[in-house]
Amino acid sequence: MTKLKTAIQYFFSYLKPYWKGLLVAMAMVGLGTYAQIKAPLYMGDAVADLARYVTDSFTPGKTASLSDFYQALIGMGAFYLLTEFGLVVSGFITSKISSNSVGNMRKGLFGKLQKLPVAYFDKHQDGKILSLFTSDLDNVFNAMNQGVFQIFSQGLLFLGIIWMMMAKSLTMALVTMALSPVAILVSFFIMKKARQQIEIQQAATGELNGYINEQLAGQAVLLAEGREQESIDTFRPYNEKVREATQKGQFYSGLLSPLMQGFSLLNLAIVIFFGSWLVLHNGMDKATGLSLVVVFVTYSQQYFQPISQITAIYNPLQLAVTGANRITDVLKKDEEKDTGKAIAGPLEEGVSLQHVDFAYQPDRPILKDVSIDVKKGQMVALVGPTGSGKTTVMNLLNRFYDLNGGKVLYDGQPLNSFTLESLRNRVGIVLQESVIFSKTIFENIAYGKPDATQEEVEAAAKQANIHDFIMTLKDGYQTKVTGADNLFSTGQKQLLSIARTILTNPDLLILDEATANVDTVTEEKIQAAMENVMKDRTSFVIAHRLKTILSADVIVVLKDGQVIEQGSHQELLDQKGFYSELYYNQMVFE
Amino acid sequence: MSLLLQYVKPYWKKATLAALSVVTMALAALIQPQFLSKIMEAIINDDNQVVLTNGAFLLGLALIGMVAGISGTYFSSRVSQSVAADIRAAEYEKIQSFSLEQVQSYTSANLVVRLTNDVNQIQQLVMQILQSVLRVPILLVGAIVLSIWTIPSLWWVVLLMIVLIIASSGRIFSIMGKSFQKIQNLIDQNNTLAQENLAGVRVVKSFNQQANEEKGFSDNTQELTDVNQKIGYLFNLMFPIFMLISYAAIMMALLMISGSVVKHPEQLAKITPFITYLNQILMGLMMMGMISTITSRGFVSLKRIGAVLAEKTDDKVKPERDSLATTSDEKKAGSDEFLTQGLSVSNLDFAYQDADENTLTDISFDLAAGQTLGVVGSTGSGKSTLALVLARLYQASRGQVEVDGVDINKINSKEWRNGVSIVMQKPVLFSGSIRKNLQMGKDDATDEELNAAVEAAQAADFVNQYPDGLDHEISERSANLSGGQKQRLSLARALVKKPRLLILDDSTSALDARSEKRVQDILEADYGQTTKVIIAEKIASIIHADQILVLDEGRVVGQGSHKELLKSSSLYQEIFESQKGKEQKHD
Repeated sequence: MTKLKTAIQYFFSYLKPYWKGLLVAMAMVGLGTYAQIKAPLYMGDAVADLARYVTDSFTPGKTASLSDFYQALIGMGAFYLLTEFGLVVSGFITSKISSNSVGNMRKGLFGKLQKLPVAYFDKHQDGKILSLFTSDLDNVFNAMNQGVFQIFSQGLLFLGIIWMMMAKSLTMALVTMALSPVAILVSFFIMKKARQQIEIQQAATGELNGYINEQLAGQAVLLAEGREQESIDTFRPYNEKVREATQKGQFYSGLLSPLMQGFSLLNLAIVIFFGSWLVLHNGMDKATGLSLVVVFVTYSQQYFQPISQITAIYNPLQLAVTGANRITDVLKKDEEKDTGKAIAGPLEEGVSLQHVDFAYQPDRPILKDVSIDVKKGQMVALVGPTGSGKTTVMNLLNRFYDLNGGKVLYDGQPLNSFTLESLRNRVGIVLQESVIFSKTIFENIAYGKPDATQEEVEAAAKQANIHDFIMTLKDGYQTKVTGADNLFSTGQKQLLSIARTILTNPDLLILDEATANVDTVTEEKIQAAMENVMKDRTSFVIAHRLKTILSADVIVVLKDGQVIEQGSHQELLDQKGFYSELYYNQMVFE
Repeated sequence: MSLLLQYVKPYWKKATLAALSVVTMALAALIQPQFLSKIMEAIINDDNQVVLTNGAFLLGLALIGMVAGISGTYFSSRVSQSVAADIRAAEYEKIQSFSLEQVQSYTSANLVVRLTNDVNQIQQLVMQILQSVLRVPILLVGAIVLSIWTIPSLWWVVLLMIVLIIASSGRIFSIMGKSFQKIQNLIDQNNTLAQENLAGVRVVKSFNQQANEEKGFSDNTQELTDVNQKIGYLFNLMFPIFMLISYAAIMMALLMISGSVVKHPEQLAKITPFITYLNQILMGLMMMGMISTITSRGFVSLKRIGAVLAEKTDDKVKPERDSLATTSDEKKAGSDEFLTQGLSVSNLDFAYQDADENTLTDISFDLAAGQTLGVVGSTGSGKSTLALVLARLYQASRGQVEVDGVDINKINSKEWRNGVSIVMQKPVLFSGSIRKNLQMGKDDATDEELNAAVEAAQAADFVNQYPDGLDHEISERSANLSGGQKQRLSLARALVKKPRLLILDDSTSALDARSEKRVQDILEADYGQTTKVIIAEKIASIIHADQILVLDEGRVVGQGSHKELLKSSSLYQEIFESQKGKEQKHD
């Protein structure tokens, strides 16, 4: 039940700003519902008046008049109008409120994500976070649209109809309601069953889709190894499982609607049957009796509508509660620590790491007692095998993560004494896996400085050696790119991110060289672009290329999270340690 | 549609039962008001007996309707699921008979959608057809006919109501359709914004762009909200309009009846059934609108699946011509007798099916058994395409590839696969144990053979670290392996069968220099009998090759040993110079 409480709190906080609108909507629903349950009475009166009119016309001495009938008809029309008026007004208000409050939820969630530390994104798969937007918020919206307000109006309708029926005839009211406990019990049983079956169905479908996805992604290997038939044979049991599970899931979830229709039909039959029996055996006059049956026929139909509506809302509502809980979990997460007050100025002296310890998980230390000193204007090459902690150093310099022990000093001041924004304005990064946004090339380069002029952007692109390529494109800088398309090769993407970084003119640069799938021509361009961007700047480079390493002022060799060697190329060669072995054994051709 | 019929056919009995149930249900709903009318008359006439009999009929009818509803759901869910599962299986089998080129031209992601989403749509389509497509017209036509039959003089009220509803819904539906399309685009944009923000979180933070990102996302969300609101307004307007039209029709009917009731007092009993029919007409019209949207989506999916099933997959398309095989697998399958003389390629062209230009043009070379061929060239020079043609995954458009003088298309497929391994640029592993993955190369490989391959591919270090060794499970999308580990395992998979022809397509790029060197040494020492084709970015990887091809825009622009090429090929020199790096210092 705490889940429900969390969900209600979540909804409440977003609905609160609209409380006035909600009150008006509720009043309108009340008005509409009142008119809706009142109108059948007038219809009954109209029929009764007509019956009396007929009887009177055939009774000598009586003057038949339709005036009562006309009055009933006018009343009926007025109440119908009132019903729909109430529904339209409340519907407009509620759709305004539900779309806006869900829009605010969307914005709120995105805003919160902007404030979470990098660690959160490293720990959670993008797909999972994304499903908060694509699936959970969607479920919330659906429930809002057809659920939350419906429960109120349908509940009101339900109670109103019971009230009206009782006022008209207690016996008939009880007859009309007699079947409903059975209907409600049966439908809850079916819904429970449907939910179980749908869970089984979703699990089976998930497995099947996972299998299909993986097999087709690796189709080239299947073909190369001639495993097509085997792939089909393994596919079959998955497919059969889905067939079985979905049949049951579909059956139970599809059952509710015909069953409720059936109950409604059955109830109608009971009402008519019993009603007419009552009229004939209680000696009611025909007009009243006829009107009684007509009124209860309408009520019987209306009475079942909220029951089937509310049962239909149950499942979407449950999904929404789950969704609201998942989103609340994220909203409660700790935000990035930004407690520093100082503003980081231009780098004057240098950057130094002193006895830095760091671990992503407490029991697995990544950096152990790492100390590196960089003077202003120097370039440090970080080398070492995969997993030695090179990327982690980068994560610490930009405060993507905070240290466990030791210090990182910027001009002698610890990094966390600065505001995050001012620090990151001074520090620029170029990632190995470049990030391209679905925007124009211009906007991609000007990403860190949205007000940059065309000249500035072009100058940066020229320095990054990508201007000429951009000019070969039909739309030049206004070409729209997406992260997924193949307009740029891996190497060219890195050139683009170098241009992006050049434009923001950082004092301290951290660069992770791209290696995979870069051809020779592009590689040379990257080399030149890197030289351009590192000129007059202090930089850390996670180096994979010999040329880069050779041009470094200081080479730091990391292994298993420790600095094992540090110095210039020649100094390290003279030490005849790890670096010299690395150099002679693997980087040299022969 | 004929495709659908073909798959429904095996289940025609169940489909018929589903249809019958649904028709029964519709008829029950239609007949009910008639009994009601009789009972009303009986009340007026004070006829107790008629009330009782008709009341019993009414109850029976309701029960029949209920049972029919349940059986209709049962049979239609069975049929729709079976049809969906059958179509999925047929489609999957069809895709498995595709050539690599066909798979690539659709892209695997697209094929997955056609196997999952599209099949789901078909399943819903079948369910809809069985449940509603039969019922709604019966209900609609029946209700129209019966309403007019009940009170013939009011035929024009019925027609007027229908015309008004169709006219007003047409207008609303067309606005709504446009809004739905708009909303789909906006949702896509919204997701892209969120997804790129997550993928680029480090860039966003390091450029301090959180506020701008938030603004861009908020603007898009606001647009989405506005369209959502508009759709909400339309929905909330539509139903009340329909209801008002039907209320107006009811009141008009009552008014008309009041004028004629003295002449036709029996109409008094017919008011309620008439109103019930009017309500049924309204329901039927609204359901028609909903069905048309669902079925139109289903038919789009049906078309997409039809396209996959209609692909040609004969021998001409897929280089798997066992019908042409002149060699028998008994004799040579996987034995040392495969590729004993050499590999020879003559005047080979390759072009993608719809491409105007060749990707490979006039490639020729001869490679003696046991020798190594190196292939270098810039991105887009056709290196990977050549690898795929040599592995018989692509079909040459002209020229020949021969092994020991036999056209490779004439070699029995089992023999071919046991003799040839290719390691592709992007390593792919499947979820399951490491053992199962490696055994893809050779079903009956012993632990000894597997370990030797693991050792050779420099994967022993991390495989042995797992307590369960070869039985260690690789998770979906190989999420528990690094890029280098994946590459090592896919190399090991290729080595398990000790192939006679080994094709490596830049498949050591994620290995550190030391491991790469070891792999080369082991290939040299332990796989000396194997003929090797090595495609590389780095000249260091192929410097010792017996023969090197330099490719440029799909043509051979240099051919010879490293030393020869340094003299003869300017492109080769250029590549070498750019990679040499340390040589100046070393000398």
